[in-house]
Amino acid sequence: MVTQIDAFQTLGDPTRRRVVEALRGGERPVNDVVQRAGIHQSGVSRHLRILQEAGFVSMRPDGQRRLYSLRPERFREMETWLASYRSLWEARLDRFGAALEKRRKNRGKTRKETRR
Amino acid sequence: MSRQTIVVERTYRARTQEVWDLWTTKDGFESWWGPQGFRVEVHALEARVGGALRYDMIADTPEMIAEMRRQGQAVSHKTHGTFVAVEPYSRLAITHVIDFLPGVAPYDSTMRVELIPSGANVRMVVTLEAMHNEELTRMSIEGFTSQLTKLDRRFEAASAVRD
Repeated sequence: MVTQIDAFQTLGDPTRRRVVEALRGGERPVNDVVQRAGIHQSGVSRHLRILQEAGFVSMRPDGQRRLYSLRPERFREMETWLASYRSLWEARLDRFGAALEKRRKNRGKTRKETRR
Repeated sequence: MSRQTIVVERTYRARTQEVWDLWTTKDGFESWWGPQGFRVEVHALEARVGGALRYDMIADTPEMIAEMRRQGQAVSHKTHGTFVAVEPYSRLAITHVIDFLPGVAPYDSTMRVELIPSGANVRMVVTLEAMHNEELTRMSIEGFTSQLTKLDRRFEAASAVRD
């Protein structure tokens, strides 16, 4: 669970999301990411490191260059997490409906009794 | 908005006030709030802007109590929040203080509720900050519970076939 919290915190940062956006098209060297995200190189490197540590980004050395790409597994995990979160709330809204129904019935009963 | 939000909605055959009461009265709130396997005991529910919401979230089934113990968690914990928006029969927002996640600094999480009447029905739209929320720690437990439920069903199905 805590890892999912970290995941949301990691992507909660708007600058980091720009870095992720910049990688959407596929594998890129840092310079490309800097250009696309419009953030200073040191910032990009820092955010790439954080994203890499959180499992969202992987790095592959290519001669002198380092190529970064997104790791779909991590994003898929988050989607799964969100789906289960949603289903919890769907269940909660079912209970809400059941509670509503019960109150309506009870109120109907009370009304009939007072009429008598 | 930097936090991931999730919108859940449902249409109920009810009057707006009936739906509103389930959010804003002690009886109403206790009748449905909380994940499966838990009940709540409300100590304060002041449905006005700045009003307090305080309740105990209590594990309520033998399985859940056993699971909470197994995970080293208390079977009951105090939860508190504040009503940050209250427009009677139409809109409300509650900010919960999430201060019980191990290893996570306390933070706020706000949910918004909107009621839209339509003939004999009310559409209820709930917007949640999915980033974290009070049931986060219980998700794994619910996973555990739903597994049990599935198992029960399978047993039922098996015995039905046998019968």
